[in-house]
Formats: sequence, structure tokens, C-alpha cells
Amino acid sequence: MLTMEWAWLIPVYSFSAFGIVALFGKYLPMKGAVVSILAILAGFITFWPVLFDLLGSGLPHDFGSYHFVREWFSTGNLDVSWGIIVDPLSVSMLGLVTLVALGVQIYSLGYMRGDPRFGWYFAVHALFAASMLTLVIADNLLLLYAVWELVGLCSYLLIGFWYERRSAAEAAKKAFITTRIGDVGLLIGILLLFMNTGTFDISETIRMVTDPLPGEAISNTVLVASALLIFLGAMGKSAQFPLHVWLPDAMEGPTPVSALIHAATMVIAGVFLIGRLFPLYEAVPNVQIVIAIIGLTTAMVGASLALVTTDLKRILAYSTISHLGFMMLALGAGGLTAAIFHLIAHGVAKALLFLGAGSIMHAMKDETDIRKMGGLLQKMPITAVTFIIGALALAGIPPLSGFFSKDELLVAVSDGLNPIFLILLLVTSVISALYMARAVRLVFFGQQTEESRHAHESPIQMTGPLVVFAAITLVLGFTALDLSDNFGGFGAFVYDHAPHPFEFNPLLAFGGIVLAAGGFLVGWLLYAGPPATVESLRTRFAGIHRLLEHKLYIDEGYQWAIDNVALRTARFIALFDRRVINDGAVNGSGNAVYQAGLKLRYHVTGKLYNYGAGMVLGAMVIVILLWVQPF
Amino acid sequence: MNYFERHILETLIYLPMLAALVIMLLPRQRQDLVRQTAVLSSALLLLGSLYVFFAFDHSAGAAPFQMERAYPWMEQLGISVRLAVDGIAVPMVLLTGIVAFTGSIISWRIDKENKNFFVLFFLLVAGVYGTFVSVDLFFFFFFYELAVVPMYLLISVWGSSSTFPTFQRSKEYSAMKLTLYLVAGSVLVWVGIIAIYITAGAGSFDIRVLQEAARSGALDGNFQRVIFPLIMIGFGALAGLWPFHTWSPDGHVAAPTAVSMLHAGVLMKLGAFGIIRVGLTILPSGAEDWALVLFILATVNVLYGAFSAMGQQDLKYVIGYSSVSHMGYVLMGIATLEHLGVAGATLQMFSHGVMTALFFAVVGAIYDRAHVRDIGVLNGLAKRMRWTSVFFVIAGLTSLGLPGTSGFIAEVLVFMGAFRTEPILAVLGVIGAGVTAVYILRLIAKVFFGPMDKQWEHLPDLTKKEGFAAAVLVVPILFVGVYPQPFLRIIDSGVALLLSGF
Repeated sequence: MLTMEWAWLIPVYSFSAFGIVALFGKYLPMKGAVVSILAILAGFITFWPVLFDLLGSGLPHDFGSYHFVREWFSTGNLDVSWGIIVDPLSVSMLGLVTLVALGVQIYSLGYMRGDPRFGWYFAVHALFAASMLTLVIADNLLLLYAVWELVGLCSYLLIGFWYERRSAAEAAKKAFITTRIGDVGLLIGILLLFMNTGTFDISETIRMVTDPLPGEAISNTVLVASALLIFLGAMGKSAQFPLHVWLPDAMEGPTPVSALIHAATMVIAGVFLIGRLFPLYEAVPNVQIVIAIIGLTTAMVGASLALVTTDLKRILAYSTISHLGFMMLALGAGGLTAAIFHLIAHGVAKALLFLGAGSIMHAMKDETDIRKMGGLLQKMPITAVTFIIGALALAGIPPLSGFFSKDELLVAVSDGLNPIFLILLLVTSVISALYMARAVRLVFFGQQTEESRHAHESPIQMTGPLVVFAAITLVLGFTALDLSDNFGGFGAFVYDHAPHPFEFNPLLAFGGIVLAAGGFLVGWLLYAGPPATVESLRTRFAGIHRLLEHKLYIDEGYQWAIDNVALRTARFIALFDRRVINDGAVNGSGNAVYQAGLKLRYHVTGKLYNYGAGMVLGAMVIVILLWVQPF
Repeated sequence: MNYFERHILETLIYLPMLAALVIMLLPRQRQDLVRQTAVLSSALLLLGSLYVFFAFDHSAGAAPFQMERAYPWMEQLGISVRLAVDGIAVPMVLLTGIVAFTGSIISWRIDKENKNFFVLFFLLVAGVYGTFVSVDLFFFFFFYELAVVPMYLLISVWGSSSTFPTFQRSKEYSAMKLTLYLVAGSVLVWVGIIAIYITAGAGSFDIRVLQEAARSGALDGNFQRVIFPLIMIGFGALAGLWPFHTWSPDGHVAAPTAVSMLHAGVLMKLGAFGIIRVGLTILPSGAEDWALVLFILATVNVLYGAFSAMGQQDLKYVIGYSSVSHMGYVLMGIATLEHLGVAGATLQMFSHGVMTALFFAVVGAIYDRAHVRDIGVLNGLAKRMRWTSVFFVIAGLTSLGLPGTSGFIAEVLVFMGAFRTEPILAVLGVIGAGVTAVYILRLIAKVFFGPMDKQWEHLPDLTKKEGFAAAVLVVPILFVGVYPQPFLRIIDSGVALLLSGF
């Protein structure tokens, strides 16, 4: 139980690095990038003793295998702490985040070379990693919310890193505002829970829900409401339909940032949050169904949009949305293990794909249109091979990581939900294979284009992380299996009720392979053939195609709502304030007094008999009143 | 009590008066000497305020009111100059020190009659300090009025008139409106204070004596129910309580930068402080009767202010209306009459004071250089005005309640208190924070990010002095955001005393 305590250091390294680089970056070697990288490296190294200590501790699966608390602030009867939980869930996430952040930062050394704000870039990366690392080990909801918002801030700063571009500024704003809408729900949900439990502590809250002492019972209405509101926050961060619109636009940031956002920070926060509060969601099955439906919708929307997009990074972004949908679906189906395992497998593969895309853009002068690429396999072999490994993994081809995680997913959905979910999931997984095949085919094979003829392989800082991530993608899947006495497979590590070994359902696994391979093959043949085949398909389904190309008109809908509802309300209130409250009520009362003065001044005549008459009249009134005594 | 503790509070009042006097005696041509004197005096004030903050004993058994000092004045009527601070006044004293110091640095740019400007500036500061540290209601009111008067001159002489496409605001109009509002508010307050004094029959204006009298039943429920709204609306007008808020955005827009800073940063806090000091302390049952009304108005403040801010085209109006919205959180916290809410309100007063001072400092700097404040015209400023943008973004993030800034801790405490009392209105309050994010981020994207027009390329960034002042304002924002405990410990002792009456 000694080294487990070190977990709190992992975010602290990066928080310190942020402070150092932000304040003194320009005096440091490489503008401080080195500090940021060393900090996350230290985190990654520290992760291992924490992991092995946890594995060796015999794994009592409860919250707070190690629970560390220090006071943050207190007032009245409220105590809020800096506290961490070290349990299998948080440690798995620590591993993923440190690994991906480390790879991305090293890669950025090459990718961002020569940028005028090089130091600031690494400072924000350090803060980003630190916030995310705190998020996954936070033991109370208020601390979690705090770093949750910081994660949002960092992605705002990084998406808008090249803020001189109008599009980057808009994308950053869109990401922050969209996720913030979810966060309003999240904060209300957290406060609602707090109001009923009197604590922010996660394990305590969950104990009150699952195993309440007399007098602690929380009403079902409150639970449902807060579960839904917290899920709203998760929807914003994890880009669930219909709050997914910010993620494709987030491409405006530097490409390594996309790798980080899509793989290890930001978008997985929502999935993690639901995973963290899983027992709470199990107590409200109706909400789980909602989560499953939203997840499935997201998966289908994301996959179909990926099919028609021609921008390489956007294809990857829609693929992320689709896979996040899978994870939510798994959570809705009660498959915590499947969701988290897929989260990790997808995280590594997606980091690999984005870094690969960045390497391609680097070689192609920032070109992202896949129609202008082609035949890059010969020009950039390392990038090509590693990218294809990532793509196959996400398509679910064995023995890559995505195969194992998708199998877990299929089992969880078939166990936990109506068969219709399983069927739609399988359909979606075919589409996933299809769009991946399309991207790979168009980018790396076929005729070289004018643009791709001058491409060249990227430097070692960039290909190095690619190779490492590809290698991990190759072997990661086997952690699903029972490997040693201490580690009985991922299902015996992160689980909900009882540890379970890797479930190999031959029918599902076989079906999954056939569908994935089939989808991949169809996509391959379709785009290998003459363009006319694709063209004819496009004209036959013109309506659907237009709908997809316009991203289902969701962005247009939001824009309409902002312009016509929010801004119109705002302008109306602003005008109301000026015209009615100010000009009407304020100036009006001022004018009334003034006019009254104008009128009354005619009675100030200075003539004694006028005043005398007034006095006599007044005296008469008083006498009459005294006489009648009406009061 | 050591020597400092005995004399610090009166020093905070007469030091600015002394500064005003010294500046008055300086030759008007020596503008730099005037500036140096002003900055030096305000630096001393900040040191004094810091001393009060650190010397205040927040331990469990400590006296609630500390550093007490009394000079008899009209003892027959029970009026004395009686100075002391409790846990609610201490953060306000520190706030005043911070804003006065940074405001005088920012005012370095003023070259029109800067001597007279600083004389009035320090009179205003003296009034503000006096209000926060007086526990005698008579002098509380006296200093309160002292703070209001210089405001009129500062705005109508050094302010700026604006013409907008659809309407105009002359600085004289804004200054007059502000003064009329505050005077009308003080009339209500004064009626309330006299009524309390007479009815309590304790022959003293000391707040603690009056509080005792109220507890012993001298101020019955009916009396409190009638008097509390006078206090609530009278002080509320100064705090920007809806619908008595319109003086505030107009006043902010017309006022010169440093006056906007003091005005929104500190003066509006006097109103909220007054509601706590007089309303909650002496009239607890009246406060309970009117809490829901105040709560509803505060919620209107939050949402109405936020939407109004979203509908503005002028940078200063946006910030002005955002102050109306944020003061709504202060009033909401007060209306909870609950520990977390009132503590949050107090912290929000401090947080908003510092944040809005930073906002106005930065916006003033932009206006000084670009001579426009129109959001539709300004764009891409971050490219040339890097630090200006950094500080604006920090202020913006504080105002949308980003964790790590003081705004988060303050607002979340208010929300917790509000959820315990009026959950539905609390939800609306949280939504208000979301609306804030929308207008602040839109503003930042429009004005600071994106491509920059040619015409702004000559704009210089903040001067060293302005940058220093802004950095001084950022320190408390981040400090409270990360480690609010030192503030909350102090506030706690005040709130505990206050709410013991309920």
C-alpha cells in the first residue's frame, strides 16, 4: 500500500510544469517544451508502480482502494476536499492519459517546430494533461467538476490556438459553448445530488444510493433527474448526439491537439464520468435505456457522416463520435468493462490515426482532402503502415485491440439490451469498416496525385510515436485475456459487480469478424473500382447524400436557434431595458416631476391674497375633518 | 491589541483624506508629482488593508468585531465614531485597497486636471473605507453619502459622452441619474435607520446594540416587515437590484476608467454590504419575510442582466450589464439567509469587485487607444494587444465562473445555498452562468480573435504600469480560485455571527 499513494503526484507534475512553462517558458531550453514532456514522462513512469501495487493488493473492488483526502475549503458545515481515488478504473485511465499525452507531446516537438507560440502550446498541453489526470482520480464531484471545466478551457485554448484564423476562433467558441451547455446540466445535477446527500464525495454518494442507511433514502425522482442532468454534461463533453457538433469543427486546432482531444482527454471524460458513477446509473434503469438510445443514435449518425466526408480529419472526427456512441451504448447496456476497454483500445488507435493524419498533412502542405491524396504508401511507408494498423483495429479486425473490445461490446449489448440494439450496432460496425476502408484506399493506394507526388516521410519525433502506438495497438487486445495470477484479464480488473473473464461468444465473434471484414472489403472494392460506381451510388441516394453532406442540418438548426431565439431575446431585453425601464420608467418619472413642477409654478404667484385664500381653504378642510371625524 | 491594531481602521479613513489634502496643495503643473503622490498613498492604503486582512483573528473564540476604536461624538444621542471590522467587512476592506491601488495606477494616463481628479478620487476612497469599517449606523450612513458625492463630479467632469446609432448618453445625464438614484436610495435607508433608532429605544446607533435590542424583542415582526423593504430597496438600488439598476450601466459607460473600476468594483458592493449590515443584522425577521421577493428579484437580475449584456454592442455596456447580472448572484446569496449562500455572496462581492475592476481597466485601455468600443468594429486585437487580450480573457473566464478562478468558488457556494432554499430559482441561476459563457465567449471571439483589420495594427499593447495593475488584480482572482480557505475562514466568523440571529 505504499506506492499506490504516489498516484496524486501524477497530475501534480504536470500542474507544476504548466506554471513553470507559462511563466518562465521563454527562458528555458526549447521554450519549456522539455519541462512539459519531462513532467508527463514522470507521470507515465509513476503510473507503473501505482498499477503494480494495485494489482498486487488483491483487488478488493471498491471505491478507494486508496483514498487520500486533504482539505480544500470549508465553510459552515460544508467540507470540500482535494481527494483522490486509486482503483482499477482510475488507474486504467491514468495509464491511457499519460501514455497518449506523452506520445502527443513528443510528436508535437516535430509538428509544431517554428511556431511563434511554441512555449505556450506546451504550457497548455501540460495543463490539459494535469486537468484530465485529476479528473480521473478525483474523489468528489465538485473537484471533478472543477477539473472538468479546466479540461474544457484547455481544449478551448488549443482548438483556438491559431486564433488569428476566424474559423479557429469560431470552432473554439463553439466547443466551449456547446460543452458548457452540457455542463450547466452537470452542475445542476451535482448540486441536486448534494442537496439530497449533503456530500460531494463520490463513494459516499454511491453508498447512499446503493446501500442507504435508515433515513438516507433518496427519492427516485431526484435520482432520475440528477442522473439525467449529469448525463447531459457527459453528452456535451463526449460529443453525443445532438451535442456532437463541436467535435468535427475542433479540427481547427493543430492536429496533435486533435489526437489528444479524441484519444485521451476531453471526449472520454463523459464516458469516464458515467463509468465512475456507474452504480448510481444502475439504480435507475430507465436512464440507462436513455443512455443506450443516445449512444446508439450517436454511433449511427457519426458513422454515416464519416462515410460522405472528404476531409481526412473530419472522417476521423466522425469516427470518434461514432465510437463514443458505442461506449455510451455499452454503458447503457450495463457493460462497464466493455465501455472502458473500448475507450482504451479506441484511445490508442485514434491517437495513432490522428498523429498519422498529422504526418500526412505535414507532408502534403496541410492538405486534408482525401480526394487529392493517393499512393502515399510508397512515399511515407511508416505513416502508411501504422495508419492502416490503426484503421484495421477500429474496424475490429483480429487480433488488433479493436477486435477484443468490440467483442466485449457485442456481448454486453446482446446480454443487456433488446436485440434491436444489437442489430443496429452490427449495421453500424459494417459502416465503420466501410468508411475506414474508403479512407485507407483513397489516401495510401491508387494513383499518386499532383500533390502527393512531392510528399515525404516525417521526422523521427513524429514517426517514433506512430510506431509505438501501432505496436501497442497490436498487443493491447491481449490484455483482455487471463495473463497472470495478479491480472486475470481486463474483465477481472475493471468490472461492475463481479469479475468476469473474457467472454468469447463464437457466434458473435465470428459474425463480428465477417461483418467487419466484409464491410472493409466492400469499401475497398468500391473505391478501388472506377469512380463511376461511387458516383452512381451517390446519384441513386441523392437525398440521403445531401442530408449527410449538410450534417443532417443540425448546425443550421443551432445557428437558427442562436440567431432567432437567443440573440433576439437578448436584443429585445436590451431594448426593453433602454426604452421601457430607462426611457419610460426612469426618465418618465423624472419628466413627470419636472412637468408637475412646471404646472405648479403657476400657483407660486407671490400675491398675498392667493396664499391667504389657500390658508383659509386648508383651515376649513381641517375643521370639517375634525368635525366629521371620518377616521 | 497592539498599536497598529488600535489605529489601523481610522488610518484607512484619514489617510486618503490626507492624501486628498496633500494633492490639493501640490502645484497643478506638477502632474507627475501628483501621480506619484496618488500611487504612493494608495499603495499605503493597500498595505493597510492587507494588514487588516492578516491581523484579523478568525479563530473560534475570537471576538466577532475586532480592531475596535471609538471616539465619542454626540453622546446624548448615542452617536460616536465607532470603527470595527467583522468577517464580512474584512474582505471588503481588502477589496477597496486593491481597487484603489490599481485604479490610481490606471489613472496615470489622465492629464486633464489630474490634481482635482485625485482629490475627488481619494475622498471617494475615504468614504468607501469609512462605510465598511463603521459599526455606528450614523457614521455608516455619513461615509456612505461621502462616497456618493465625488462620484457625480468625477463622471460629469472626467467622463465621456457617447453617441450610439439609436440613442445618446451624455456624461452629465449619466452622472445625474446615478446621483439621483443613490440619493433616492439613501432617503429610504435614512428613514429606515431613524425608524430603527427610535423604535429600538436603546439610545445608540451602534449596530451591535441595535441587534441586541432586536433580539430582545424591541423591534417586533410588523415593524421589521415594514422597514426591511426600505433598506432592501434603498441599498439594493446601489447594488444594481432590478429594476433599479439602469443607473449602473450608464454610469459605468460614462465614467473614466478608474472611476468605473471603483464604481463597479467597490461602490456597488456598498449596497450589498448595507443590506447585510443593516437589513440582515438588525432586521432578521423582516429579512425572512422579504427573502423570497429578494430572491426572485436577484434571479431576474442574473438572467435579465446576462441577456441584456448579450444584446449590447458597446464593450463597456456589456461589462456594465454583466455587473448587473453578477450582482444578482450576490443578492441571491444574501436572500438565501443560509450560511453557504451568505458566505458565497460575500466572496462573490470580493471576486466580482476584483474581476470587474480588471474588466474596466482592460476595456479602458482599449478605448484609450482605439477610441471605439463597438464590438462590431473591433476585431482580432489579440494579434497586437497580446497582454490586453490575456487579461480580458482571464476576467472573462472569471465571470463565467471557471474553476480555478474566484468566480467559481463564489458562485458555487451561492448555488449550494440557493439549492437548499429555493431549488427552482437556483437552477435559473446556474443557467444564468451558462448564458454568461455565451456572451463572454462570443465577445472574445469577435473582438480579440480572428483576423485583424489594418486600422488596428498601430495599437500599442498595455504599458508596463497598466500591465502591472492588471497583474495585481489577477493575483487575488487566482488565489481565491485555488485556495479560498483564508478568505472563507474570515468570512465564516462574520456569517456565523450574522446568522446566529435567525
